[in-house]
Amino acid sequence: MADRTRTGDTPHLPLHIFLLIFTAISTYPILWVFTVAFSGKQSLAFVDLPPNPTFFDRLRGVIPWPDEVSLANFVSVMTDQPFGRWVFNSAVVAAATTVVGVAMACSAAYAFSRFKFPGRRLGLMSFLVSQMFPGTLTLIPLYIIVVQWLQLGSSWLGLILVYAATSIPFSVWMLKGYFDTIPRELEESALIDGASPARIFFQIVLPLAKPAVAVTALFSFMTGWNEFILAATFMDKEPMYTAPVGLRFFVSGFSEQWGFFAAGAIIVSIPVVVLFMFLQKYLVSGLTAGAVKG
Amino acid sequence: MSFRLRKTIVIALALGGALAALLLHLLESSNVNANARAEAERAAIVTLRAISDTSGWLGAEGEGVRAAVASWSGGAEQRKVRISNTDNRTIEASSFPEDVANGELPRRMVRDEKPIYDLGQELASAVEGNAGGAAATKEVVALEWSADGWLKIATPIFHEGAVVGIVQTVSKPAAGATIAVPWWPLAVGVVVICVVFLAGAFMIGERKLPLLAFAALLLVGFLVYGGRAITGALLEQRIAISTQVAKQVVEEKGKALAVMQTAAVAAPQFDASLWDSDRFLKPRGAIKPDLTIDRAKIAKVVAGIAEANRSVMIAIGLFAFVLFIFVGSESAAKSWAALVKYREAYSYVTPAMIGMLVLVFFPFFYGITLSFTDQNVYTTNSPLKDLWVGFKNYTEILGDFNIMERTDAGLQFNYKNFYWTLFMTVMWTVTNVSIGVSLGLLLALILNTKGLAFRSAYRVLLILPWAMPNYITALVWKGMFHQQFGVVNQVIQMFGGTPVSWFERPLTSFIAVVATNGWLSFPFMMVISLGALQSIPADLYEAARVDGASKWQQFTSITLPSLKPALVPAVILSVVWTFNMFNIIYLVSAGEPASSTEILITQAYKIAFEQYRYGYAAAYSTVIFMILLAYGTWQNRVTRATEGI
Repeated sequence: MADRTRTGDTPHLPLHIFLLIFTAISTYPILWVFTVAFSGKQSLAFVDLPPNPTFFDRLRGVIPWPDEVSLANFVSVMTDQPFGRWVFNSAVVAAATTVVGVAMACSAAYAFSRFKFPGRRLGLMSFLVSQMFPGTLTLIPLYIIVVQWLQLGSSWLGLILVYAATSIPFSVWMLKGYFDTIPRELEESALIDGASPARIFFQIVLPLAKPAVAVTALFSFMTGWNEFILAATFMDKEPMYTAPVGLRFFVSGFSEQWGFFAAGAIIVSIPVVVLFMFLQKYLVSGLTAGAVKG
Repeated sequence: MSFRLRKTIVIALALGGALAALLLHLLESSNVNANARAEAERAAIVTLRAISDTSGWLGAEGEGVRAAVASWSGGAEQRKVRISNTDNRTIEASSFPEDVANGELPRRMVRDEKPIYDLGQELASAVEGNAGGAAATKEVVALEWSADGWLKIATPIFHEGAVVGIVQTVSKPAAGATIAVPWWPLAVGVVVICVVFLAGAFMIGERKLPLLAFAALLLVGFLVYGGRAITGALLEQRIAISTQVAKQVVEEKGKALAVMQTAAVAAPQFDASLWDSDRFLKPRGAIKPDLTIDRAKIAKVVAGIAEANRSVMIAIGLFAFVLFIFVGSESAAKSWAALVKYREAYSYVTPAMIGMLVLVFFPFFYGITLSFTDQNVYTTNSPLKDLWVGFKNYTEILGDFNIMERTDAGLQFNYKNFYWTLFMTVMWTVTNVSIGVSLGLLLALILNTKGLAFRSAYRVLLILPWAMPNYITALVWKGMFHQQFGVVNQVIQMFGGTPVSWFERPLTSFIAVVATNGWLSFPFMMVISLGALQSIPADLYEAARVDGASKWQQFTSITLPSLKPALVPAVILSVVWTFNMFNIIYLVSAGEPASSTEILITQAYKIAFEQYRYGYAAAYSTVIFMILLAYGTWQNRVTRATEGI
């Protein structure tokens, strides 16, 4: 009896069947994107159904494999459509956001981790609380400030500034957590050797924190790369769209260019999906750590 | 004998006074310079009206108007005049060089001169529009400043009550330049109060409160004096301007009479003081019919401006006092000392802090301020004070209980009602988080089975939905739910069902968005649970087995309690995420049908960016924030309480 209840003894076959069904569900939409993208057509249907389709005609219609494999959608989305330009906009915005955001977050996180100063607690808490502000509440003032006052609508700079600022709290908490784990003795001995604080920061702490900085930078990049609402609100000139706004443009309103959308979605997703697969364990620990402290 | 207190307070007084003086000076400067431009416009209107009336008496044609153009052109302001007859479509007389280049005057307008005719029609229709209502609402004087200081201005010509033409002038008024307001009277005032304070301080001695009170009194005195001085200066300037204008009216009257005499037409009786009018042709009233100035009237106008300045003055006073108290109570010295002592830490934090203040915290507080106004897309540049509506937005949102509304089709749900959307949001959050947690936990338990083959392959494939950018997921599912070509309907038809129009009924629409969000949210819970499961030491199960615990007992007394520390924060996070999950709703169902599947955050976005009611949307968002804040506080208390057990 005791042997039957051992965890290792559950029969594996039903589990595999369940997992296979679930894996099919979780990958189907992704296969769907690939099928539409490689079909060479703009249509949502994988095959043209005959007038009175049988069960098997229908079945063929849901199997994610295109009638004929063609790269036409990829070629024309990058050449005939302004999609290349939109991806470029996204890349510039996301890269600049990363540089600006991480630079500010690194120095702030270092101070929060190493110095005791009046306002330290208040600063950390205010960063945390800011994560609770609903997007639309700050969106309207940001729109008024950035687009109407600063005239930075449909420009890279406006989006970069806003993204960088909004990425700071998460980055600061992640980096501070890592800086806390670096032993202080290293810095103290360097201080005794006569190194200036700036030198300690740049030559000792930052190199040690390289993995955390890299992870934070990649997250900032992904946020900038994937962000939709702010970009959709700020960028109203077609040449200045970012990739997310552009992809939606293909399939919104009366536009039904699903082939372009799917091809573009693959181009945009592959780098972030790969990055994400590498980074998800850091993301989980960072998020739950922040949540526990909050 | 120590002078420390007196020294600190006199410095505070000097700084507070200096700040007040600077701000008062700026206020005075802006007041005076607003007048400088208005003065130039006022003078130009007087001349324009003189020309227009004279041309009108002459019927806007003939030798007379040429004499008028000759008489008013040139001068110190390099004025150019053009008189056109819109009835005949002719240019009657002009001193614009380009008009002569197009042919001898008077002549028919050429094609390029159509804008002149159009402007005439526009002004004529403005006159008509104003004639209808009680108050004039359309400007009858067209006015435009060029970047290099030229003033272009035009008005219709009336003949026997009807508009017959248009007169345009271009001139370069000297008065358009900025006026330097002397700064030294206010500076002297600051020195005076400081000296008075020092003298008084000798009598008071080193006693903090009396010293502060005395200094505060002096500061108030200075502010009152400064405010009075500004009003006084303004009144003086206004009187000077009006005197100047009155003189000009007399001159223009002389010119008009001379022109009439040349044309040998009898001038009618007229009141030249009416020439001093605003852009609606309403007389300003600063000049009496005998062409002398009306001091009482001017004083009244200045009092109105002083009234408008009052809130600015109060703000200036507050700034000055904050600075004064800050320095005087020695907080400044302490803060400065802290700043110097911790300068390194602060210099590291400053860039991030400035970024956050400007682009996160300021917008947040600005948003809350907006929620008390009825600002919309057209009024973003008006002062918020003018748009203030108090709690009206909130009572409108929270006080609207009309969940059902009567339409032609009978009694129907009012899906735009706040409480419906709130209900929908709660349903949406609860459904999604339950699905996410149960699916995630189930898959994690299965994947945690010892010795399961292909475990990491399953894991990678199951995480994919989380890795995809969620806006792409949303659009993909929107495609899959397409009524005609979507695969979901293909599958339904495969088994003999009829295709569903997913976004035409609230229930099916809700199912569609939940399916989409469920698909992308279970991997997060799965990863969290899996991590927690793997960290449970195997000996715990070993010991339980030895004690004869059943598998279910092991699950409830070992697995679940060990999962809790990881799952609770994950659930909290996922509640907040789902509550604010904008992309899925906005991109998949877009609230269809009839806003029934809208959640709070997408509704707020639509109010702001589809109806352009910024103030109302800000109030809506503030309510969302309050709900989240309440949830956060409650959640915090609950988790703390359970941790204690």
